[in-house]
Amino acid sequence: MTLRLFVLDVPENTAVAEVAGRDLNVAVTRLGPYFVIESADTFSIDRRSTGCRHAVWYSCVAGLAGCQITQFDKDALRLEAR
Amino acid sequence: MKDLSKQHLVRGVDHAAFPTFDPAATVRFYRDVLGFPVVHSICAAGWGPENHPDFIHFFFDIGNDDRIAFFYYFGLPQPPSLGKGDVYARFDPNTPDFFVRSRHLAIHVDSERHLLEYRRRLDASEWPVEMQIQHETIESIYTHDPNGYMVEITRALRPVTPQEDLDANLTIDALVDIVDRPGASLDDLLTRKAELIVERAAAWQEQQERLVESPEGPVHA
Repeated sequence: MTLRLFVLDVPENTAVAEVAGRDLNVAVTRLGPYFVIESADTFSIDRRSTGCRHAVWYSCVAGLAGCQITQFDKDALRLEAR
Repeated sequence: MKDLSKQHLVRGVDHAAFPTFDPAATVRFYRDVLGFPVVHSICAAGWGPENHPDFIHFFFDIGNDDRIAFFYYFGLPQPPSLGKGDVYARFDPNTPDFFVRSRHLAIHVDSERHLLEYRRRLDASEWPVEMQIQHETIESIYTHDPNGYMVEITRALRPVTPQEDLDANLTIDALVDIVDRPGASLDDLLTRKAELIVERAAAWQEQQERLVESPEGPVHA
């Protein structure tokens, strides 16, 4: 099952989608005002690469389909199949 | 006559009221330090079947014609402190600070200059700023008034976008859908919210694009 992470497109979140998309196994598309970050397998997003400070980082996830968060700390956000 | 049944009719905070056991310090804090004008007060003799004390009910303007108000009851002793909290809400010393601080009043200002002016006034007073926090989207200063009530003064670093209103509504709909499940968690909410995004986000976008083309421009959800 495809893992899908939804992130709202606001200025503070664009780097989250951009950094996620650098992973060749991850595709970033759009659904309305949301980025849909999807992959067939486990993936993670490096917080420091996004430049997000903590308030935005810890509130950037809008929705989860087919996956669950297995790491969400100052280093990374990691999604694995449910 | 115009149908009011679906209209959002309220016009902000008339007043939010709190008890005080130190009205002199409360006046110093709100009127003399922050410069909030006294706009109304009521001197009332106790009445009714209960032994109601005589009291003063007094109001300060917090901008936008909104008001914060206090009750001072003559002769009413202050309840003893349990350790944390304010003169109204008492918590034992083991209560987490995040919970105690979660109830507070946040007052809006329009700019950094205005925020820093209130910081200057507070820092010169008995109630200096305890925290100044800048997130990516807001900046706030915090202190506690003479009654122990937490007061925040905040400014937005950018306007709220229409998609944030949509997102807020999806969050709340998802929360209401899942919160009564046993052991409901943020994971349950985010899973439910993803379903709502799939159901509604594309249609919302199309509606916004139609509104951009119309003379009124986009509207908040």
